[in-house]
Order: sequence, then C-alpha cells, then structure tokens
Amino acid sequence: MMHSVADEDEPRLTGRGIRQSMSQLHTWAGLLLGWILYAMFLTGTVSYFKDELSQWMRPELAYQAQVPDQAAVAQRIADEFSRSIPGSSQWSMKLPDARNNSVYAFWRTGPRTPGSRGGFGEGYFDPATGQKVTARDTLGGDFFYRFHFQFHYMPVVWARWLAGAAAMFMLVAIISGVITHKKIFIDFFTFRWGKGQRSWLDAHNALSVFGLPFHFMITYTGLVTLMALYMPWGERVAFQTAAERQQYAAELSAFIAPGRPAGVGAPLASIEDMVRQAQDRWGRDNAGRVTAVNPGDATARVAVTRGDAGRISMSPQSMEFEGPSGRLLRVRESVGAAAETRGVLYGLHLGRFSDIVTRWLYFLVSFMGTAMVGTGLVMWTVKRRQKLPNPDHPHVGFRAVERLNVAGIAGLSIAMAAFLWANRLLPQSLAGRADWEIHVFFIAWALTLAHAFVRRPKAAWVEQLWAAAAMLALLPVLNAATTSRPLWHSLTQGDWVFVAVDLMCGALAVIHATLAIRTARRQPARKAARKPSSSPAAATASRQEGT
Amino acid sequence: MSHLLPFMLCLAGFAGLAFAMDRQQRNVIGRPLKAAATYVLRVVGACVLLCALGLLVTWNGWGLALVIFSGHTSLAAGLVYCGLLAYVKMDAR
Repeated sequence: MMHSVADEDEPRLTGRGIRQSMSQLHTWAGLLLGWILYAMFLTGTVSYFKDELSQWMRPELAYQAQVPDQAAVAQRIADEFSRSIPGSSQWSMKLPDARNNSVYAFWRTGPRTPGSRGGFGEGYFDPATGQKVTARDTLGGDFFYRFHFQFHYMPVVWARWLAGAAAMFMLVAIISGVITHKKIFIDFFTFRWGKGQRSWLDAHNALSVFGLPFHFMITYTGLVTLMALYMPWGERVAFQTAAERQQYAAELSAFIAPGRPAGVGAPLASIEDMVRQAQDRWGRDNAGRVTAVNPGDATARVAVTRGDAGRISMSPQSMEFEGPSGRLLRVRESVGAAAETRGVLYGLHLGRFSDIVTRWLYFLVSFMGTAMVGTGLVMWTVKRRQKLPNPDHPHVGFRAVERLNVAGIAGLSIAMAAFLWANRLLPQSLAGRADWEIHVFFIAWALTLAHAFVRRPKAAWVEQLWAAAAMLALLPVLNAATTSRPLWHSLTQGDWVFVAVDLMCGALAVIHATLAIRTARRQPARKAARKPSSSPAAATASRQEGT
Repeated sequence: MSHLLPFMLCLAGFAGLAFAMDRQQRNVIGRPLKAAATYVLRVVGACVLLCALGLLVTWNGWGLALVIFSGHTSLAAGLVYCGLLAYVKMDAR
C-alpha cells in the first residue's frame, strides 16, 4: 500500500533493511488476494446502506415517512402468525424502524419433534396490514452484505475462511504498509500531479493514511466478527457441558432455546403490551426484534430485544416475558467484560448504531478504503511496467494481473450495476427470481473478465469504465420507466431513500466517466523510453499505458 | 448541528497543520513561512482538532465520540488535501 518511491529509485543497499522486507511483504500480501479484498471492501461499503438499497429494490413497498408504532405492528404480525402458522414452535420478527419499511420474519414450520427441528419459513410483512407483502422476489441489499463475507456459489464455511484469509492479508498489508511508509507525516498532504508512479503512490498514500484508523479498525473487527469460526479452541475447552454452552450462547445473542412444549394450549398475552414496555425502556422506535418460542403453548416465552441505534455494541439486550400471562420474567442489559469487548468490536464493524451522518462517514471512509485497494492493485502494474524487457509483450503473470485488475475493479462496478438493472428488468413471475438477479451479477462479471482478456488493457479499462458509467447513469432512467417512483416523484414526496439512490448512481457514473476520460487521454509509452534502465526520468515516462 | 461544528473545526485544524508544512507553504504562497509562524500554525491546528474531540465527547460520550471523530478527521483531511490539489492545479494554469 504505501511504498517509498525512494526505495525503488535508489540503488539497492547491500543487506535488506526492515523497510525493504516490509515493502515486499506489503506488495505481495496486497496483491495475492487483492481482487477479493477489493470486492469485499466495495460490497461492504455499499452494505452500510443495505437497508435503504433493499427499499429501493422493493419499489412496491410504499415509502415510510414515519416509523409506525412498533407495538401495534408487532401485535398485527403476531395475530397474522397465529392464523397462518398456528403449529409453529418459534417465530421471530424484525420490527420496522427508521431504515426499514417492512417486517422481516422467519419461523419454524411445525413443532419440533425428537430427531427433527422442523422446517423453516421466512417472509416480509407490511407493517400497516400485517399481511405478507407481494413485492418482487429479491435479496435486496442483503446480497452485497452476504457477498461481503461469504461470497456465493460456495459452501458458507469455506467462503468465510477465505474472507478471513483475505482480511488477515489486509491486516498484514496495513501494518507492513505503515512500516514501509517512512514519511508518513512529512508526506501527509503531498500530491505530485502527472508524475506517473509517484502520483499513484501519493494517491494511494493519501487514501491509506487519512483513513488509517478506519482501515485498521474495520479489518481487525472484521476478523473478530467470525472469531468463533477461526479460533474455536478456547470456547471448546472452556464450555464443555450443555449448560455452559447455553450460558455462553446467551452472552452472544438474545436467542431463547425452545424448551419442550407442555402440550397445553394457552394463547399468547398481548404482544403489544410487551413491546410497549420495551419502548418505555429503550425509546419509541428502538425495539429490535420480537421472538416467541412455543407460541400457543403454556410454556411460551417471548423476548423483545433492544434496537441497534445509539449504542456501539452488538451484545444482546432483551426483556423476556412469560407468553400466556405477559409477565416480565427478566431484563438483560449487560454481559460479561469479554462478551462486551466482542460486542463493541462487532458493533464498530457493522456501524448499525450510526445516525445518518455517521453512516455517511462510514460509507465515505470505507469508499476511500476501496480506492486504496484499487490504487494499490493498479500500482503493482505501474511500478513493474518500467522494468519489463519488452512492455509490448509482458510476461504472463503481468498480463494476468493487468487483466484481473480491469475485471476486478471496473468489471465489479458493471456487475453491481447489472444486479440493480436485473432487479428492475427481470419479470416478476420468473421462477427463482431472486437467484436470477444474483446469476446476472456473476454473468456480467464473467463477461467483463472475458472482455478484459480479449481486449488490450487500456481499451479494456476505457470500455468497461464507460460501460459502468452508462449503466449507472441510466439506472434512474430505468427506475423512472419501470416503476411509479421516478426521481421527480420522489423529490416531491420527500422520499429520500429513492432520491439518494438515484443521485448516488449519478455521482458514481460521473466518477466512472472521469476515470474513463483520464485513462483514454493517457499517452501510450514512447518507444524511446523503453530502454531498461538507466534513467529514472525515462522510466517514469514509460509507465502509464494500460492503467 | 452535533456534526457540523466539530467537522468545521477538524477542517480548520487540518488546514492549519497543512500550512505548517514547508511544501504546502511553497505551493500556496511561493515561500516558506517563518519558523515561529509555522510553529503557531502547528500548535493551533492540533489544539483545534482536540477542541473538536472535546466537543464530541461532551455531546456523545467517549465511545460514539471517538468513532465520529475518526470519521470527521478522515474526511476533513481528505477535503483539505483535495482543496490543496485543486489550488495547485489552478495555480499552474
């Protein structure tokens, strides 16, 4: 990430200093999983607005100007459950809040029996009617969120290990980058225009250093979110009995394990009253989830959890009620120090506590991180081009990196835009529609890779950047043509979610178009500058083609 | 409002710190400032950043304040940097 040009321009000293070692470590740790890291960074960045993106991707759901009363909504949905899934042994609903205009719920279908956990169902519900919504079938912004740490088309556990390896490489790249960058304060505000490799380096350094606290935090906490997978041994040794494991689980989530039902019917008491108590305690719009186990049975329990707003911790806080009587059994508002440390680190990564401004800060600095990985990848080729014996016919490794850069960076923008296009264009009656949106994402990405290998690098960059710019710029037009919520309508209605998505598409289109124009204007390397060697000035002139 | 003032302070703080650097002084006014002026800029810049942190801690408590401060400083430093780039670019024309 942050190499010192001086290290490259000066003759190598005998013996390898720590900086040279770290520089190499930084270069290779950054490159090997760099494309995966770039994709993780960009999809993670977008995920800070996953709920808003989900709203945009379900245009059938009306804009929610005000958060509805969560207590009334919870009762409405619970009534619907008692009608539609009467035998369920467990259901759980995520109440609407300032960022969600629908209720996401999942449930077990049928009672648990020995040897069988029953099936699962899930769906989105309209807070106003309590009925299942008939919006288009889509994963919404959750696709980017899930892709961010478990990719797709591969077993979840493998994917999470791969994401963990990439995050570990990132952590190594950050630490080695800081050690390598010897002028971190002197060069703090330095940028040198039109100096080829130096300019790339300055941009890379600025993106890295300004956001350094965030980059370090987000990488480290990313690893913490999946620490139980990566390092399970402590927990295996410490918690050996079922009771210990249950207590451990309770420190991490508000999940109530369904006990054995008594087989004696007893209707649930007022869910509305339970949520009302949670509202009194945590604020009107700050109940998170309502979960019921064995509803309709004498042993029923209901848990209402606290929402995420305003507290930097994912540690569970909940109120547990006796189902049939509605009596408050206990309130949990704290966990042990170790669990809370994990909860805070987890919370920092997800940023769900954020108000809208802080969320934008998360987004923008994370976007800087994405650009940091992108500039680092491009710089790998910029730095090496000058050393190639024949830049017109680089070796196979160089060619592969060059083309993977095109598809990994510009191609990913196209794929993500294609996903949104598919959301608007795929017929609603298509079987497996949500899956097809994702297939379109990967088909588009694969096509960009094929294109990158067929075309010359510079042409591939320019064409793909223009394609991404066009797809993003036309997305608001497509939205206007295919839904009843065009930009002018959203503006007059004060529907800021749709306004923001439309405007963001425009802003991102401008960024891609600017990059395309700058890349297209770049002069190809002059033949005279190709002599291997000798003068740094000559070398500087030959670096740019194709980047 | 709880974001605007601390962010403006961060912007001012980083502007001060940037002008306390030799390269930026040469780029913007064509010559280095006196050592005393540079020193004052550096101290004032740092103090203004600390003021922003102080305000955020007072309003939001340490946890949230540190997160928001980190965001404000990253963005403010980036904006000062872009401002300097634009100035140098325009000046060169």
